[in-house]
Amino acid sequence: MSMRDLTVAGRKVQLYEAGEGAPVLYLHGIADMHGAAAGPFPFHDALAKEVKLIAPAHPGCVGSDEDNSLESIDDLMFHTLEVMDVLGLEKADIVGNCVGGWVAAEIAARNPERVGRLALIGAPGLFVSGAPIGDLFMAVQPLNGGIADLRAMLFRDGEGDLAQDLFPDQHRDKEQGMLRYQVFRCLARFGFKPPYFYHQKLRDRLYRFKGLALVLHGADDAFVPTDHAAAYGDGFPAGSLEAIDDAGHAVILEQPEKVAGKIAAFLKS
Amino acid sequence: MHPVRLFCWHFMAYPHLPKDFDKNHESAWVTVPNTLWDRTRTRGIYQEYLDQLVYADELGFDGMVLNEHHQNAYGLMPSPNLLAAALTQKTRNGKIVVLANLPPMYLNPLRIAEEYAMLDNMSNGRLIAGFAVGGGPESFNYNVPSPHGRRRLWEAIDLIVKSWTDDGPFEHEGPCYPMRYVNVWPRPQQEPHPEVWVPGSRSIESMEEVARRGYRYFLSSRSHGGGTRMAAKEFAGVMEKHGKTYTPFHMGVLMSVYVAETDEQAKAESQEGVWYFLRNCLKGHLRKEGRSMTFGPGVPSQSLRSWEAFLNAPRSSGSMLGDAETWEELEERNSIIVGSPETVRRKLWEFIEDAQVGNLLIQFQFGNMKDALARKSMKLFAEEVAPALRRDSGDLFAKVFPQLGDEMPVEAAR
Repeated sequence: MSMRDLTVAGRKVQLYEAGEGAPVLYLHGIADMHGAAAGPFPFHDALAKEVKLIAPAHPGCVGSDEDNSLESIDDLMFHTLEVMDVLGLEKADIVGNCVGGWVAAEIAARNPERVGRLALIGAPGLFVSGAPIGDLFMAVQPLNGGIADLRAMLFRDGEGDLAQDLFPDQHRDKEQGMLRYQVFRCLARFGFKPPYFYHQKLRDRLYRFKGLALVLHGADDAFVPTDHAAAYGDGFPAGSLEAIDDAGHAVILEQPEKVAGKIAAFLKS
Repeated sequence: MHPVRLFCWHFMAYPHLPKDFDKNHESAWVTVPNTLWDRTRTRGIYQEYLDQLVYADELGFDGMVLNEHHQNAYGLMPSPNLLAAALTQKTRNGKIVVLANLPPMYLNPLRIAEEYAMLDNMSNGRLIAGFAVGGGPESFNYNVPSPHGRRRLWEAIDLIVKSWTDDGPFEHEGPCYPMRYVNVWPRPQQEPHPEVWVPGSRSIESMEEVARRGYRYFLSSRSHGGGTRMAAKEFAGVMEKHGKTYTPFHMGVLMSVYVAETDEQAKAESQEGVWYFLRNCLKGHLRKEGRSMTFGPGVPSQSLRSWEAFLNAPRSSGSMLGDAETWEELEERNSIIVGSPETVRRKLWEFIEDAQVGNLLIQFQFGNMKDALARKSMKLFAEEVAPALRRDSGDLFAKVFPQLGDEMPVEAAR
């Protein structure tokens, strides 16, 4: 495994790589590497035993430079395509978690020829009437000095050790405080504005991706309602949907072996 | 002579929150349910508040200050320009300071250029034009991503000022607000344009932007310890770097004052309003209790560099005005100054002498303070505090800032 920097359109992009075999582009989310910790979690280690994982940090996250011109999901999608260009990934399997799943879905709809297999985990990005996406930005603002609301939105057990360790009321150290601020500042650039964490037209464009798509989600996701996963599953012509029990939005942290196993099996099937 | 300029700032709080508000609600901002609005008891509320500002003009204050906040019980001014318009017709002398309009919240900043130009004409050239980025609550209210705020703010300010000074029509090519026709009618009455004020909270980035353009810096902190003097020094240094000379009139601060006949009486009369203001109005804004919406990862307007500096600061420095639990704690912050005319004069004079800031924007009405008390305090201040402050500050500033010269700078003239 290694951490290295790429230069993409003049900006530094931090990249985590691990494993052997066919390259799989991994796009991260919040309760994820580059979001809640600089390095990999057991989920990433498990997946990297099966495939070659290539995980860039979004602009402004961990060691990646900020991009002040990033204002919409379109901008993040083009940025990610440029990362693929620099990496020489003409076509790759893409796994996207949380907002990384949204970016992956946008790429699949716009440039289906660049995506092999597509796996989304707890992805926002679609408008589903009557199933609003949780307000993550309000939840991260302390209530009586604590962020229990954020933990409850991200984890099945918001007061469990995992949630408390990654999203404590007071950051454990400066690094943790910076990481959290960085990932939220990145997300606010394209997710805060109306529409909130979705792209009204994406749902009608999903049909353009004819490849195999696996849509996973925690059965108790309190950030992205499970109807959204169903909408992704329906939207892709070759989509399959699977709920993971005993997990919330942070399903890759709460059920790492199970999720890694399902994704590895899907990518290799 | 260049005496300190004394302004009367009204926040126009919602004064009828229930007694158990603090217990039952996490914030007076954004999520505070508007079912709390009492249609009967609020009849005449704007008239009462406007009349207090008109009274400030009659008492000889240098101006009246309004600000913009949305969906909250702290200040009932989603559109300060509407109130400013009313003031143009009801006041004669004082400046009308709109501190501020929030350009990042607007689709088109030309609307602000137009309304400010109207206000300048309607007031016969008495407008001070404030521009601000908006705080965390405003980001939630108007769905504006915080990281883009500053970029939008400065492009808007530059466009607005250009629309006042350059001949139109012209085309504007900026990334945030491209416009094919910029051609503002009416043009403002003041030449070259109304004085521009921009609030900041000591970030060097904001000071640089303000100083570079020669605008006035308003320190948006509500607490004034040694930090205010430091900020004035920092801003003076930044101005110097840009080839400009600092005078006290390049900077303003917000203070809150209550004056009564004696110290004891002042404390007794102001208590209810002050605590209502701290406990209720500041909840969600400058209090740890409740939902803190002003600052943080959910409204990440600070640069990564500023956030890192914040994380490096000692934890205890995170305490805010609304966290004060006792009257003594409150007094230490030098934010809400309560006392007899002599006590208030002494404390404000110590502040002026120390910080050398020439624009004091003073809040007289707090929370649910009754009209009669607010007016009495304003009158005592105007008659028994202001004259000495003006005299002494005029002498002091003449000595320390000889560059002010004999002539009143245009922007400081009433």
